[in-house]
Amino acid sequence: MIPPGRPPEAPRAPRARDAHRARRALVFAVATLCAVIVVACGENHGAREGTAPLSAGMSGPIDSSRVVMLPVAPDSIASLVRAVGGKATLVSVWASWCEPCRMEFPGVVRLAHAYKDRGLRVIFISADLTDDLPAARKFLAEEGVEWTTYYKRGDDTAFMNALEPRWTGAIPGSFLYDQDGKLRDFWEGAMNYEGFEQRVLPVLSPSPRGSQ
Amino acid sequence: MTLRTSHVPRALFAAALGIAVLVGFAGHTFAQGAAGPIALGTPTPMADFKMTTTAGKEVTLAGLKGKKGTLVVFTCNTCPYAKGWEERIVAIGNKAADRGVGMIAINSNDPDRVPGDAMSAMQDRAKQRGIKFAYAADPAGDVARAFGASHTPEAFLFDGEGKLVYHGSIDDNVDDPRAVKQTYLANAVADLSSGKAQRMAETKAIGCGIKFRQKAAS
Repeated sequence: MIPPGRPPEAPRAPRARDAHRARRALVFAVATLCAVIVVACGENHGAREGTAPLSAGMSGPIDSSRVVMLPVAPDSIASLVRAVGGKATLVSVWASWCEPCRMEFPGVVRLAHAYKDRGLRVIFISADLTDDLPAARKFLAEEGVEWTTYYKRGDDTAFMNALEPRWTGAIPGSFLYDQDGKLRDFWEGAMNYEGFEQRVLPVLSPSPRGSQ
Repeated sequence: MTLRTSHVPRALFAAALGIAVLVGFAGHTFAQGAAGPIALGTPTPMADFKMTTTAGKEVTLAGLKGKKGTLVVFTCNTCPYAKGWEERIVAIGNKAADRGVGMIAINSNDPDRVPGDAMSAMQDRAKQRGIKFAYAADPAGDVARAFGASHTPEAFLFDGEGKLVYHGSIDDNVDDPRAVKQTYLANAVADLSSGKAQRMAETKAIGCGIKFRQKAAS
C-alpha cells in the first residue's frame, strides 16, 4: 500500500543511486522467484489457511485446492457474524446441488467485490453433505471465491435458529447483519445482483430518507 | 426447459442459466412457501384433495387417515437431503400403519422443471426402496402450498382428530445415520401412537426448496 501524499524521494548521489538500483534489481529478482515458488506451491499443495485477498475473477486453470472451507457449528454462528467486522455482513447459505443457489452465486460474488471497500463482508456457508463437498469446492473455485468459506455441521434446528428462527430451511437463504451483528434482513430463494444491491445498500450506508 | 437439482455439468448449468435469464430471472425469488408452514393445531389442509400415487391409485389425506393419525412427508427423488434421509423416511413410513398412523409421501416438485421427479421416476423409486405406503404426486404444488411446505423433506404429523401435532425434520443428522442423537420424526410418531404429549413438536431442517410450478398470475 502506498499512502497518498507520499513525498518524492530525495535526490541521491550517483554512487548511492547505483547501489539503490542494484538493490532494487535484487529485490525484484527475489520477489519474482518467491512469486514463482508461491504459485507452484499453490498448485501442488493443500488449501491455504486464513483469508486471501479478493481478486476480480479467476484466470487460468481452476484450482480447487486453493479453496478454503471450514466447518461451522451452530454455536459458532453468532461469533462468526460478529467477528467479521465491516459495516454489513451477508451470510449466504447455499449448496452445490441447489440450482437457484448456483444461479444467484455469481451475483453474490460480484457484490462482495463491488462493496468490499464500503464494508460489506460476504460469508458463504455450504449446506452440502460430506459426499458433495468436493463438488462444492470445485464450484467455489470456478466462481473465483478465494476467501474463507464454511460448511454447516451439527443439528439443523440449532443452526437455523442461530441464523434466523423464521427461516424455513429452504435454500438459498440470505441473512443480512449490520455492524453490530443485528439481523437487518433475510430472505429465501434466489435473487439477482440488483436485488441484493437494493437490500444491502441501506445497511451499508443508512439513508436519512429511509431504506428501500 | 429443465432445471435439475442434482450435480449439473457446467455446460448444462450455463445453458440453464441462459434460459433462466431469457425467461426473466430478474428480481423475483423462487421461494413460494413464504407464508410459512401451518401452525400446530391446524386441521389437515386439503384433506379431500385427490392425488395419484405410484401404484396408480387416487388417494386423499382423509382417506389415508389412520386411527391414531396421519403422517405427511413432502419429499422427492432428486434432492440430496431427501435422498440422504430416504431410507429412514421409508423405515418410519413402512411401520406407520402398525402404529395406527396413515402415511403418505408427497412429491410437489413440478416434473416439467425436474424431470427426475416425474411419475415414472417416482414409480421406479418406490420399487427400488420398497415403499409400502402411498407415494403421491402433487405436480401443481397445490398441497404443498396449502401446507406452507417449502422444502424437501418436510414432515407434518396429524393426530386422530386431524390436527397438526408435529412439524419438521426427520432427525438431527442427515449426513450420518450412525451419528443421529435425536430421532425427531420417529419419536413424534411413537408419542402420537402411544397417546403421549409430543416431546418436541417442532424441529427444523435445511432442504431443497420445492420446485413449484410457476403460476401465471403470480
